[in-house]
Amino acid sequence: MFNLIRRDVILQKRQLLIFIPFILFFIIMGAPPALIFLVASIFIPFNTYAYDEKVETNILLNSLPYTRMEIIASRYLGAIVYMILSIGVTSLALFAFNKPFTITDIAIGSGLFLLFAAFTFPLFHIFKPGYITTVVLISFILLTWIAPPIASFIAEHFTTITDFIVNLSIPALYTGATLVIIVGYVISWGITTVIYQRKAF
Amino acid sequence: MENVIELKNVTKKFKDFSVKNIDLQVQQGFVTGFIGANGAGKSTTIKMMMNLLKPDSGEIKLFGLDYKNHEKAIKERIGFVYDGNVFFEGMNLKDIKRIVAPAYKHWDDTLFYQYVEQFELPLNKAMKTFSKGMQMKASLAIALSHHAELIIMDEPTAGLDPIFRRELLALLQELMIEGNRTIFFSTHITTDLDRIADYISFMQSGELVFNQSIHDVAENYALVKGGLDLLDRDTEKAFVHVHRASTGFEALTDNIKAVQNTFGDSVVIERASLDDIMYYFKGGIHHV
Repeated sequence: MFNLIRRDVILQKRQLLIFIPFILFFIIMGAPPALIFLVASIFIPFNTYAYDEKVETNILLNSLPYTRMEIIASRYLGAIVYMILSIGVTSLALFAFNKPFTITDIAIGSGLFLLFAAFTFPLFHIFKPGYITTVVLISFILLTWIAPPIASFIAEHFTTITDFIVNLSIPALYTGATLVIIVGYVISWGITTVIYQRKAF
Repeated sequence: MENVIELKNVTKKFKDFSVKNIDLQVQQGFVTGFIGANGAGKSTTIKMMMNLLKPDSGEIKLFGLDYKNHEKAIKERIGFVYDGNVFFEGMNLKDIKRIVAPAYKHWDDTLFYQYVEQFELPLNKAMKTFSKGMQMKASLAIALSHHAELIIMDEPTAGLDPIFRRELLALLQELMIEGNRTIFFSTHITTDLDRIADYISFMQSGELVFNQSIHDVAENYALVKGGLDLLDRDTEKAFVHVHRASTGFEALTDNIKAVQNTFGDSVVIERASLDDIMYYFKGGIHHV
């Protein structure tokens, strides 16, 4: 299983060279640190999916002594591993550029990443290969673009929801969010495993 | 004798095609050639053997183990070669090895580099720059480097030039010298099989027509040639399919004795090649 996670690095040697300039670009553009953490986390796991949506890759992986459950587990665990590594690298970069950031930025960035992963990973196995990477990338850009106005719209017009959230104590808010994310991630993992086990290559 | 692959009453249905009631045993220590026209169901059957496809019904066992409980143990012992390149196109062989090797407990690096040298494979060039023959050799080098007991190949000789085809067959022969290895491979180039196959499995329209030793195939099937006046409803029963021409008929029989009894010396009986068998079965499904 560890081999399956490590595989991503071997596979993406070249793309990793883009990784640093990619993050630097966001830093220099002055993007909010939380967004930078999010984008950095997405880089490796979603690049892997761009490879793995190919039928040939699945034939190869499934012909090797791995079970389908392991292949999916390596995606979900790998996403977390690479998220942590990316956050480390990004923190260093931010630090080097003297950009301040807080633990909250990391928490928001990684939380959003995990939610995004939980939402999109199953889609990779439902939609036809060839389209899904584009779909996910576009939806990601749209989401980051649309989400802030929607959030402020909700904040203004659905005051009961915002009141409820605002009235939560900070620890309760964090615990709640963490729980929602963990549960969402685990459910997504389960769904993807079931879908993948039924697939034919 | 032990069966390395065992399919019992395996059925898999697709929208417009199905593989029906396959009963197939592949014996340990032999080369089995898996023949049939394009679209006969060979690849589907091989995919089920590799657990890439799950059968709708029936039982599949490899080394006496089922995939449900022993998937890893089974695949650990199989070397696979597919028709197309399943390896990441943009990667070089060295990186592919770094991904594949750790998957196997018994991966043998020395052996791998030995094959790389023998096949003259470049380690640092992207797979997509390889010719079809080189891709095949690369797949083979990977398939052979973990001491697999069973080698499953789907159309390994398709698209290869005659020289490399021979080299490949010679190599497979060499592999068989080593004790209890089993090779199962599909092909529609039947001349390959005359050289190395011990057993022939023949599929036609999703059904397994026969699975016999190459010796039995030669004994059981024959081409019969004679004048058209010899044919009538009764005499035709001895044939799988009859091909008529103005000069006479040519037919495939699976019952040489009956033909000899019925026609005696009035017909010519010749050895049927695998191509002949495939050709006549294709035309004569109604009889089967």
